[in-house]
Amino acid sequence: MSQFDPVKVGVLFSETGHISTIETSQFLGTLFAIDEINEAGGINGREIQPVHYDPQSSPGLYRMLAERLVLQDRVNVIFGCYKSSTRRAVIPVVEKWNRLLFYPTLYEGFECSSNIVYTGAAPNQNSVQLAEFMMASYGARVYMIGSDYIYPYESNRIMTDLVLQRQDGAKVAERYVSLDATQESFDEVIADIKDKQPDFIFSTVVGDSTQYLYRAYAEAGLNPRNMPIASLTTLEAEVAQMGIEAAVGHISSAPYFQSVDSPVNRLTLSNFQKRFGTNVVPNAGWEAAYFQVHLFANAMRQSGNDAIDALMPCLLGLEFDAPQGRVRIDPSNHHTCLYPRVGIVNADGQFSLVRQATRAVHPDPYMVTHSLGDWTAKLSAVE
Amino acid sequence: MATATTDSPVRATPELLKDLRTLRVAVFHPPDQDGKELIQQLQRIGCQAQAFWPPLPTIPESIDVVFLAVRPDIVLPDWASSRQNGCPTTIAVVTYESPTIVDAVLKVGVEGVIASPVKPFGLLSTLIVARRVNNSLLTLSKRVQNLERKLAGTRQVLEAKAILMKARQITESDAYRIMRDQAMARRATVEQIASAIVNANEILTFK
Repeated sequence: MSQFDPVKVGVLFSETGHISTIETSQFLGTLFAIDEINEAGGINGREIQPVHYDPQSSPGLYRMLAERLVLQDRVNVIFGCYKSSTRRAVIPVVEKWNRLLFYPTLYEGFECSSNIVYTGAAPNQNSVQLAEFMMASYGARVYMIGSDYIYPYESNRIMTDLVLQRQDGAKVAERYVSLDATQESFDEVIADIKDKQPDFIFSTVVGDSTQYLYRAYAEAGLNPRNMPIASLTTLEAEVAQMGIEAAVGHISSAPYFQSVDSPVNRLTLSNFQKRFGTNVVPNAGWEAAYFQVHLFANAMRQSGNDAIDALMPCLLGLEFDAPQGRVRIDPSNHHTCLYPRVGIVNADGQFSLVRQATRAVHPDPYMVTHSLGDWTAKLSAVE
Repeated sequence: MATATTDSPVRATPELLKDLRTLRVAVFHPPDQDGKELIQQLQRIGCQAQAFWPPLPTIPESIDVVFLAVRPDIVLPDWASSRQNGCPTTIAVVTYESPTIVDAVLKVGVEGVIASPVKPFGLLSTLIVARRVNNSLLTLSKRVQNLERKLAGTRQVLEAKAILMKARQITESDAYRIMRDQAMARRATVEQIASAIVNANEILTFK
């Protein structure tokens, strides 16, 4: 296609292990964007060549493979990571060698590495919106269940602060399960939930164990109309994994759902499914992985060069018409302006939108106290 | 596999973190790369930060936190050598760790140190811990003052009792009762009566 050298980029998403379902969707979102760019002529005539290794859901391997990508494959840019522990494993590598990581996943905030561009939601772009909807619709007594690591701890802290801003708010429990928890771990939790009767359940269970929580809930005969599970991490891929029956009626918040009603989204989904089929389920992590590659390509078209010192000035402030809406990289903190949404799982396994941002929400990764009274964070109801 | 769930206590957000966005921060640092990184990160955290170079000769009352560049080639402002308790939390920014610099840092009496090159990660933690240390020092200092005052009072009460016992040939508990009754009658504290007795005795027995 071109007589210029291809642009090698690193891709670090797991195909095996407990995080593989969601990371595989991010992996394919990345490849899809790369294909689109190459088919349109590449970056100034240069083809993007992905170099992918499977870190097998293990933080130690993320670090090792990031080093291999930088030192052996000589990439300047890496697209990768879902869990915070894996991102933190890669940070020393990209900071030491001054490379750039594009991180397409929601996380707990309080970070701003100059070697990372963050395209997933920070807490002020999903937590407040979810809390506001749940408390307005179901009540403020919440039961918290999450996986045992930093992201759930922080999300629970934020949710606790929000819930206690209401007079009748209460945290009835805060429980953690290991990342490889099986169904038995959740049976006891569900029994406790039946006993304590919260208004809603806030789940920060992540990865493969998500399905066991929702299935245990369904098998216990609990009703999502009265006491739904609310989550920031249960998205279309998890719904497909657990089966629609177990998922219907539960609620999630994310900047993107497949049901976003825009021409860009419908076209992108259609093209993706034509190329990659329906085995992999598009979701917010997939969408961020997809649009971040386009942001990279557009920035590099301007800079002519993918070295971070040349690329970063072109990336900061750059906008792109992503499936969720027109996103922008905020120059002050390397995070992305996104469109928070809230959706309920319907009988098709998709999310029916109940709340939607009409304007992009600026990322504020260092916000400690989120306020229910902040009407600039309120979303519009979807009719 | 055995069920493994862990319960945890209420995870409330500490006050020191909640009031971060009300903090007024003065940054006394040259406008180089480190200075810019520092200001940018403080802005991301949400503090009201202003930078001055050279340092202001006095620190305005409303300032909560000060960042001060401590470097070999820089003369520190006067207030850096005369800080007292209650002075704003101070954090040094250093470009060397050699004993001369560490000594200078200690003389300023800072509650935290940040090393060059300044990067975002670590600043929040240092800021919070330094504020906590400063608050603790202030609290402890007030407590020491209170205790010293009480101790002085207790000594005087003992001395007054001894004087009364000798002068009137009464028991210790009678002496204390007299002092206490006088205190109630005069709407004073026992310590004040004791002080009066001790002072009077000095004059009456003055040779």
